[in-house]
Amino acid sequence: MTSVFDHLVGQEHIIEILEGAVAASRTGEESQEMTHAWVFTGPPGSGRSSAAVAFAQALICPNNGCGTCNDCNSAKTHGHPDVEIIRTEGLSIKVEEVRELLTRVAWAPSMGGWRVVVMEDADRLTESAANALLKAIEEPGTRTVWLLCAPTLHDVLPTIRSRCRHLQLRTPSLEAVTNVLINRDHIAPGMADFAARVSQGHIGRAKYLAINESVRSSRKTIMQLPLQLGSLAAAFQAAQTLVDLATAEANAVSDERDEKEVEKLQEAYGKGATGRGMATGGAKAVKELEKEQKSRSTRMVRDSIDGALLDIATFYRDAMMVQSGNIDSMINTDMREQIESYAASSPSHSTINKINAIMEARENLARNSAPLVTCEALMCQLARK
Amino acid sequence: MKFTVDQNSLTDGVNWVSRSLSTRPIKTELLGIKIDATGDEVILSGSDLETSSKAYFKADILEKGAVLVPGKLLAEISRSLPNKPISITLDGTRVLVTSGSAKFTLPTLSLNEYPNLPELPETTGTVASDTFATAVAQVAIAAGRDDSLPTLTGVHVEINEETITLAATDRYRLAVREFSWNPATPGFSTSALMRARTLADAAKSLVGSKNVSLSFAPTTSNDRLAGFSGDGKTMTSRMLDGTFPPYRHLLPTDSVTTAVVEVAPFLDSVRRVALVTDKTVPLRLEFKDGGVSLEAGAGEEAQATETIDVLLNGEPISIAFNPVFLADGLQAVGTPFVQISFTGSNKPAILTGRTEPNGASIENYRYLLMPMRYAS
Repeated sequence: MTSVFDHLVGQEHIIEILEGAVAASRTGEESQEMTHAWVFTGPPGSGRSSAAVAFAQALICPNNGCGTCNDCNSAKTHGHPDVEIIRTEGLSIKVEEVRELLTRVAWAPSMGGWRVVVMEDADRLTESAANALLKAIEEPGTRTVWLLCAPTLHDVLPTIRSRCRHLQLRTPSLEAVTNVLINRDHIAPGMADFAARVSQGHIGRAKYLAINESVRSSRKTIMQLPLQLGSLAAAFQAAQTLVDLATAEANAVSDERDEKEVEKLQEAYGKGATGRGMATGGAKAVKELEKEQKSRSTRMVRDSIDGALLDIATFYRDAMMVQSGNIDSMINTDMREQIESYAASSPSHSTINKINAIMEARENLARNSAPLVTCEALMCQLARK
Repeated sequence: MKFTVDQNSLTDGVNWVSRSLSTRPIKTELLGIKIDATGDEVILSGSDLETSSKAYFKADILEKGAVLVPGKLLAEISRSLPNKPISITLDGTRVLVTSGSAKFTLPTLSLNEYPNLPELPETTGTVASDTFATAVAQVAIAAGRDDSLPTLTGVHVEINEETITLAATDRYRLAVREFSWNPATPGFSTSALMRARTLADAAKSLVGSKNVSLSFAPTTSNDRLAGFSGDGKTMTSRMLDGTFPPYRHLLPTDSVTTAVVEVAPFLDSVRRVALVTDKTVPLRLEFKDGGVSLEAGAGEEAQATETIDVLLNGEPISIAFNPVFLADGLQAVGTPFVQISFTGSNKPAILTGRTEPNGASIENYRYLLMPMRYAS
């Protein structure tokens, strides 16, 4: 029999726990195995939210998560009355959103099972939002289950995490990711191997890279940047290229979608009606949506720059591997010669400094620093011998 | 789709289903009102997933069909139309609304994405609409408004054969009302928790019908849905999860002092005296044989005092209440006189109604009010 847990890659250790919890939840008795609040942590791309959604499906599915029934399907697509999936694409989850969510969470389960709330970005809760949520987790409804996802346990308020059971996901192995790409997404083995390797266990990123020619080509451009830092002018040029490429990648997705969303909302308030314009409140709702879209696009650009910086970091990582005499575990095998010649021309301590500089730039970006200035500063550091 | 209908039926129906439209829905389709003219009558429906409303009315249906239109706009238009027959026609992807010389066209929304709304559960009994509306309003006033304590935003509905008991509390006051109804099957009993504002809104809007039919699934059922219906109007609402706190033992059975006061002057006086303080600052009351004196504010701050007549039975007593909660209770008893029963200055007091100052108190509604501490 198929199971929703089949789609989780390299997470056998938590599947066992989750299956036990599902079984315990069916008995109707209180047990150690089932509890009302869980935190899923793991590096980006390890499948935190996939694991949480799969657990949600298993809890509400009559067959313990078959993945094929109506309940399983609707749970995944926001269509199930008892499953709430909170997914923000913006910068943060605000307290108003949490309060609104709490009014919905108070409903009794409509099918007599569980009411499941999956919060995919618990690390993006603002402080007041987290405190509003805390109240609900402290005094849980009898049939409500909270599934929070965050990169690490430290991203969740201590008062919240102390009330949750913790599940740590592993970064899936190179083979596991490659196999998923080949078997699930029908990607050619050569491409699957490349994508899995350069995306370092991030399944979503690997797939995106494998199926998008334009993404691969901009990655290629970005990977050449460390080799083009001959002068200060070149460093500034490289920073500009990086930001432009990342912004273009983010906007390609968002522009079209933003426009469609606004159109749909305006229509729902009756834009285009004759004899009378949009209904009262329509303009305000559109304005709010546009604000949300702006926050989302800031986040997408930021995420995309962050991805590019991680890619560049793999260049220096490989260089360091070569410098320390370990040439087998290279990520960017297609750039072997260039990396080897760079490694030969540069001392290993500077390589470490450069990796540190990249990580520092990423942290600054997450703290809302101006993307271009941050990248310029970084490139200047990388340009040093 | 094409039909004509009189203005009243349409506006009434649209207003009813508009109540279920949310302002910030999860899906934009939920901002729409569905007009279904596929059968013998026209059915309007609206939903925010918690409550779903439908309105049925007779119309002269010339062409069958169904369509989803922007709900708020339809409501605003139907209200502004003159009292003349209205014709509604689907023309391609637009809906024409004409009445006399007024003409509107509305865009349509995709009906495919619109969720299937739940069916009205089987009727479990009926009650006179005004009794129901009064009872719900009397109780809903005491419900909490803090959505992070969802259980307390609800009204607890307990059905025991021929009696329905409603109760709500926000931890500072508790309102309990009993009334009789006509169950469809003898020996029926169940309980449910319904969001207070939903219940109050539904009850108030159904007073146009003589009777209201209630549908409460038995507690053992998987379907945690309640239904309310009157003439041509139905609404289903999801119940709240959680256990309502046991409250019966909180209601004191005996008292050391009872005071009877005329509601209107007392209420005015409470509001006047409370003017000098914040909403949460105690209003001090001193019940004596000569009258009850009200006092608020202290020391250097603004102060106010006032004395009004009281019929006192028992020991004199000093007590302090939140002025807003006291005013709510005085209004909710709904009688010319109020009886306040005390068991002590730091114990809860109970408000009940009296039609005559010397008559018996009406025990079917009790409003329990917690006293506040104050420094004297």
